[in-house]
Amino acid sequence: MSDSLILSEDQRDCLQEVCNVAMGQAGDSLARLFNVFITLTVPNIRLVEAKAIHGELSTMIDAPTVSAVRQAFYTTKGNQGLCGESIVIFSEASFHEIAEMMAYDRADLGSTAEQELLLDISNVLNGACLNGIAVQLEEALSYSPPALIGQHIPVERILDREQLVWDQALSIKIGYSIENKAFQCDMLLFMPGVSLSHLLGILDMLLDDF
Amino acid sequence: MPIWSQFPFIDVVMDRIDTGVLILNPQMEIQVWNQFMVTHSHRSAEDVVGRNLFDIFPELPRAWFERKLKGVFVLKNQAFTSWEQRPYLFRFQHNRQVTGGSEFMYQNCAFQPLLDTGGEVAYVCITIRDMTDVAVYENRLKDAMAQLEVVSHTDGLTQLFNRAHWEARFCEEVTRLRRYDGQLALLMFDLDHFKRVNDTYGHQAGDEVLRDVSARLRRLLRSVDVAGRYGGEEFCIYLPHTDLCGGEYVAERIRKVMCRKPVVHEGIEIPISASLGVTHYRCKDHSHEQLIKEADTALYFSKENGRNCWSCFDEQSVNPK
Repeated sequence: MSDSLILSEDQRDCLQEVCNVAMGQAGDSLARLFNVFITLTVPNIRLVEAKAIHGELSTMIDAPTVSAVRQAFYTTKGNQGLCGESIVIFSEASFHEIAEMMAYDRADLGSTAEQELLLDISNVLNGACLNGIAVQLEEALSYSPPALIGQHIPVERILDREQLVWDQALSIKIGYSIENKAFQCDMLLFMPGVSLSHLLGILDMLLDDF
Repeated sequence: MPIWSQFPFIDVVMDRIDTGVLILNPQMEIQVWNQFMVTHSHRSAEDVVGRNLFDIFPELPRAWFERKLKGVFVLKNQAFTSWEQRPYLFRFQHNRQVTGGSEFMYQNCAFQPLLDTGGEVAYVCITIRDMTDVAVYENRLKDAMAQLEVVSHTDGLTQLFNRAHWEARFCEEVTRLRRYDGQLALLMFDLDHFKRVNDTYGHQAGDEVLRDVSARLRRLLRSVDVAGRYGGEEFCIYLPHTDLCGGEYVAERIRKVMCRKPVVHEGIEIPISASLGVTHYRCKDHSHEQLIKEADTALYFSKENGRNCWSCFDEQSVNPK
């Protein structure tokens, strides 16, 4: 990718609006699923450079150690269409409270149950949010199974800079917290390269219709 | 409708694929049960279709399962389970009857919502993949990695921690102290005239002395104390939650235990003794390197002052550069 991508102000506004609507729907779904009130932050949209990703991550996530889960999303066009990875980052989680919310049996809350809980919550958050975005973009998404990146790791360990195969990506950060519960996590959606161009194309179409 | 659904053998394919397929309606009644499920559950499709899943499989974790499905129905979203966290959904036999390695079939499961024309979830399709081979190999890999880790931390001759690992652990401990405060004593000791042992009795005898010394050391330490082979015949031990007094007590015990009995190698008695240096953590400015240096200085002092004894590091006696 030689040309660096830029997001016009219109495209950014449009994407912001799409995300806001999806957030609202996601919040509503999650509230119905868990019978709790979930607070979501306004999505923070930005273009990030691979070489500056560690600095970005530490700025975005203010916690010494975190647990993180990744999950890929894609359409029927695979990596030629809208696709990317979502990383859900847990900076504070009281597992007993979450376990109760997710109907886990307290008795079997061992370390693997804790991992399963992180995977389940990530899957639910990703689905609620991304499906909401996809519907507005008139796309249908499929997901890979969620996979654990690590537990109680420093923020820089979430992404291995040496392994990154992209130069620039769009990141959308959404924060989740639950009223009256010790729970805080952030979802980072990353769409690199072709996916980003594809997204910008869709946004332009939406803007034309508008 | 996709073209392939009209292909005549599609039913056969559904029954031949190496994946379990079962479809549930919102009442948890089984709608579809493919051959994989029949084969491994020993329940025929006639037996189970139309009946409630939990009536047939009461051993399923019902609360968990229903919550998982609720997510699929409410969010119209896929859900997953992985063998790494939840080894299986249905306790099936695997096909490694000969090669073995597991007592059951490890499974990865996906729960997919099937939407009706109105966009509501009409059914949930559960697919089950046999991950036993992967699990068996991954578990072997984990065992091998664990062994490798032990080997990479251990000094082959003495079976104590090697210098690099001991120093890393010690550094962590000091970092913890600097943050949370507490006590720690550090001991370093060296065998007296070890070169003479090698020259007189040979290197195999020297090795036997080092092995015996480590065994004696291991016997007298507490399980929380961390000992390592620092270099040739030099050993290091840090004692967590221990003040200088405690450090001195252990130093004297080590001194006694070392010189009390000679090491016996091929019937020959080799007398040994050790010189020790002791120091302790005193303030937040203390780095682990500095503590090692202090213990080493004290050890050197013991060597200079008759050997077979221990000394404590004394700040007064150190020249400021």
